[in-house]
Amino acid sequence: MRQAFEFVRRHRVAAVIAFLMVFPLLMPYHALAINILLFGLFAVGFNLLFGYTGLLSFGHAAFLGVGSYLTGIAMVHGGWPWWAAVVLGVACAGVAGLAIGFLAIRTRGIYFSMVTLALGQIVYYAFYKAERWTGGENGLRGIQVPAVEIGGLRLDFLNPVTKYYVILAFVALALWFVSRILASPFGAVIEAVRENDRRAAACGYDVARTKLLVFVLSALICGLAGALRALHLSIVPIDSLHYLLSGQAVMMCLLGGMGTFFGPFVGAGVFLTLEDVVTVFTKHWMAVVGGVFMFFVLFFPSGIWGTLVKRMERVR
Amino acid sequence: MEITPSLLALQLVTGIALGAVYALLAIGLSLIFGMLTVVNFAHGAFFMVGAFIGLYFMGLTGNFWFSLVLTPLVVGALGLVTERFLVRPLYGRGIDYPLLLTFGLSWVLIEAMRVMFGIEGLPSSTPPELRGAVDLGIGFFPKYRLFLIFATAVVVLALWLFLEKTRYGLIVRAGSRDGEICKVLGIDIARVWLVVFGIGTAIAGLSGVLAAPTRAVNPEMGIHVLAESFVVTVVGGMGSLPGAVLAGLLVGIVFSLTSLFAPDLAELSIFVLMAVVLLLRPQGFFGKQGLMS
Amino acid sequence: MSAVPILEVENVSKRFGNFVALNNVSTRFEAGKLSAIIGPNGAGKSTFFNVVSGAFPPSAGTLKFQGRDITGTAQHEFARIGIAKSFQITTVFKQLSAHENVRVAAQMRSARYQLLTPRAKLTALSDRAHELLARVGLASLHDRTAADLAHGQQRALEVAMALASEPTLLLMDEPTAGMSPEETKVMMDLIVQLAAERSVIIVEHKMKLVMGICERLLVLHHGEFLAEGTPDEIRANTEVRRVYLGQG
Repeated sequence: MRQAFEFVRRHRVAAVIAFLMVFPLLMPYHALAINILLFGLFAVGFNLLFGYTGLLSFGHAAFLGVGSYLTGIAMVHGGWPWWAAVVLGVACAGVAGLAIGFLAIRTRGIYFSMVTLALGQIVYYAFYKAERWTGGENGLRGIQVPAVEIGGLRLDFLNPVTKYYVILAFVALALWFVSRILASPFGAVIEAVRENDRRAAACGYDVARTKLLVFVLSALICGLAGALRALHLSIVPIDSLHYLLSGQAVMMCLLGGMGTFFGPFVGAGVFLTLEDVVTVFTKHWMAVVGGVFMFFVLFFPSGIWGTLVKRMERVR
Repeated sequence: MEITPSLLALQLVTGIALGAVYALLAIGLSLIFGMLTVVNFAHGAFFMVGAFIGLYFMGLTGNFWFSLVLTPLVVGALGLVTERFLVRPLYGRGIDYPLLLTFGLSWVLIEAMRVMFGIEGLPSSTPPELRGAVDLGIGFFPKYRLFLIFATAVVVLALWLFLEKTRYGLIVRAGSRDGEICKVLGIDIARVWLVVFGIGTAIAGLSGVLAAPTRAVNPEMGIHVLAESFVVTVVGGMGSLPGAVLAGLLVGIVFSLTSLFAPDLAELSIFVLMAVVLLLRPQGFFGKQGLMS
Repeated sequence: MSAVPILEVENVSKRFGNFVALNNVSTRFEAGKLSAIIGPNGAGKSTFFNVVSGAFPPSAGTLKFQGRDITGTAQHEFARIGIAKSFQITTVFKQLSAHENVRVAAQMRSARYQLLTPRAKLTALSDRAHELLARVGLASLHDRTAADLAHGQQRALEVAMALASEPTLLLMDEPTAGMSPEETKVMMDLIVQLAAERSVIIVEHKMKLVMGICERLLVLHHGEFLAEGTPDEIRANTEVRRVYLGQG
């Protein structure tokens, strides 16, 4: 049992992808599976900054939203092909990460959370007001991707199963990228900065620049999640940029296990499934999810996967 | 639209009234942060609860003054319960945990208000005694807004007296600068934290009941307010009460005047103000340098 | 022995609000020597250490390293130019293994921003980390989590981390703080060995320790320069004796 656990952890990217490939077969309906894919990626991007670097940002919806909106705008207003629009969305999310990160890094500790929330709201209001481009309160509509052409193959993007696997291809690529970063020398620097940034600086590492770089990488991943979400929903709701969505990423990460590779996906799965299940019984799902979250903060701060990892390691 | 001096003055008063609400919120946040090093992400929710409960008591008794006194007590009591059972277990863990918990709490509070009062919110109205306008020579000003400013000034003065002149206030101030001193003096620091959290949330509730006649009262009203109170805190400097007051007023005025000259940019303007302060003076006007970078 | 002092402090002052922690201190540390900064409690030793090790810049005055002006240089530059330090309160990466602590310190010179190569491939760094751990006597504890090490072992770990950046100057703030007599002896022997290869400056308040092994002492008092010289000169200095009367 423990050996299987270790094997899965060592080949983490392959394990996640293998699981995600059969995932739709486990889910009651495909929209939920796709949602978990997208929010799982969002949480993975967020986790890079929060779980691994120790910076609690409450403004990450800005990167998801920028990714969504810029992809949508390029397609709806510019007539760009979907793949070019996605590249633009991701790139712009990275730029937003650079700008917000630069300002936010100037603050420490809890202040950072407040500042990132407020900076994220700048993006929210800016996009809200730019009605001509973004559709304002009603969101951006009309993002059409009837088919995806790769090589000579034409995939019907409107078929939810096909859509899932196309999106999965992108998610897999992003996960591979994140895994490489975490295993790289830079990944070690990230952990050192989280553990003790004074010591990291004394060792010679530029802590501010390191944090900024992680910020940008995190924003790129979240931007990709946003870009794909725009293609999936065909619209971009204005709430994509609101800090409540940032808060959802935080919740998913904690529920699943921050600072672990699998945690964000586990958290996204639990969060969204819980939301789905609870709404069957009551419309007051926010109270239930909020309550569950508080319960985890108090009693299971390592999250579901994180607690499992700790149990396994203690047995050693 | 012609901008006359009296229109400008009116907008200024509106801005100061708005700023008064912000100042109260920021004071509550700063008290809780300065003393417990906790950023209360449920602060906007407590504000919202105060607005709802304030209207409820007003509807129940027909008496605004009764509601004005009772509501902060009720919200403060809620804050006491929160600190004692939800936040206290988290001290000693990382600094992020109380923040995360209060964020989860805000979701529960929002939904609780939906359950109790419906998702549409409550219709708010100005108490009859404070309706209408007053002629101050340079123009007519809404009575309620003037009252709001006056009431806030009274509360700030009372708080200042409490902190500067009473023994308990001294303990609160000492605690916020050095928790060790309290332990050495044999003061039960946990009790102080409990009381400060209660006071901070009570003030949030008070700002809610004061603000209710001036805006729509619905379960979502605290969501944007939280972000705005963060702006005030960054501009004024976290942990600084004079900073909270001055920054609150500044932000309220900036918002109000921008609404007059460039209405589309009003909400954006205060966040841009915060960004500028972050660039030039990250610790805020009155903040301590140690907190930043 | 080089003529250029390894560290020059010129008219350095440090103020915290109205409190003057250091007042116009000037001194030189010669290269290749083991020097110590001593003084009674409140003398400003820690503040002095923090200024010369880059924790914060001085309010006034100049700091020179090997003749180069480094006043106001950012903390992370210090290790890069060859100044490494260990803190008064043990500052290590608690949740990482001892080996990883040293390895990441050693990585600074060659691989800071590499994003895509697996760090497991950098075997030279890993070997170097093992060597350094052995140097400070922690070879057998290499895979222990730093938080689980004994106090003395953690301080030894910090020394290994400081050495990892190949410093020309090693600064140590009360290296034997909180150690038992046996641990203290081991640490002092290590310091003497290290001083043979590079310049070492330590802050200490245990006079007996530094008198025996250090070649040069700087005495601070109330944030000001009091005296400097060899242990014999300091022992004979009437000012120093007056200040230290009754202190050991």
